[in-house]
Amino acid sequence: MGAPQHITLEGITPGMDFGPVVFGPLSREDFVRYAEASGDDNPIHQDEEYARSQGAPTVFAMGMLAAGYLAHAVADWFGGPQHVARYKVRFTTRAWPGDEIICTGKVESLEGSRVTVSLEARRHGDGPEGLNLDEEQVALIGEAEVDLPE
Amino acid sequence: MAEADQVDQVEKEIRFDLPIERAKVQEFAIAVGEDNPICLDIEAARQAGLPDIVAPPTFTATQILVVNRDERERRLGANLDYGRVLHGEQEFHYERLPFAGEVLSGVMRISKDFTKEGKRGGTMRFVTYESIFTDAQGEIVLTAYYTLIETSKDVG
Repeated sequence: MGAPQHITLEGITPGMDFGPVVFGPLSREDFVRYAEASGDDNPIHQDEEYARSQGAPTVFAMGMLAAGYLAHAVADWFGGPQHVARYKVRFTTRAWPGDEIICTGKVESLEGSRVTVSLEARRHGDGPEGLNLDEEQVALIGEAEVDLPE
Repeated sequence: MAEADQVDQVEKEIRFDLPIERAKVQEFAIAVGEDNPICLDIEAARQAGLPDIVAPPTFTATQILVVNRDERERRLGANLDYGRVLHGEQEFHYERLPFAGEVLSGVMRISKDFTKEGKRGGTMRFVTYESIFTDAQGEIVLTAYYTLIETSKDVG
């Protein structure tokens, strides 16, 4: 996406929608890259055999990988990561290789220079064979507060 | 060896240093799709009035490289059964983002530990690890809250 737009409080109103910003489709290489970058080396995200031994049909994404994508999306909507004052996510389902991660946000409130945004990241894809997942599911629910220049 | 040394002492908090290395910030930014030049390119960061590239918002998840799960578990003694543990929630409060080149001081402790009844029966336990990161001046940079959920033995 490159450098985000310069954004100010003017023009931001409650109910305003942001996104969708789409990441992926996720690959196993994305999981390996995030494991190396973050130190989250839980083999359930990288080792097929281990994942199956833990009852998963295949490896799946670290929650924090999708959380990182969503944080980036919010940061870009509001002028860059330096404006983010609070960021919170709850993980609701796993994301699988081949899934796209679709990030959206909505302005909930505006108080002074602080904007509160509700967030969602949905997984979109076929999912692993045999799981019969819905094609699209909410994987992360979140909220962010950003401080914008007056 | 004194007897007390042989017993695992549960500690109230773990203190650790988290160096913010430029190459690590870039590697992490690329891994999470953060392509803002202020996270990647020192010239772009300086042009934006920043001393160096900034770590993306979720960067301090890399604290696991300094204090891994086993050490955290041994020293803070949450006594979780990791076969039943999920990452439930993650939260960050920022005063600012860390800059490459600084070393943050971290203090991690268990800030919440409670159980509640699951929707499908069984009891779920929520354990939150709070990590407060301060800079060389002793100012708080950010606080991270890492919440694990231990699912019930009875629910599949």
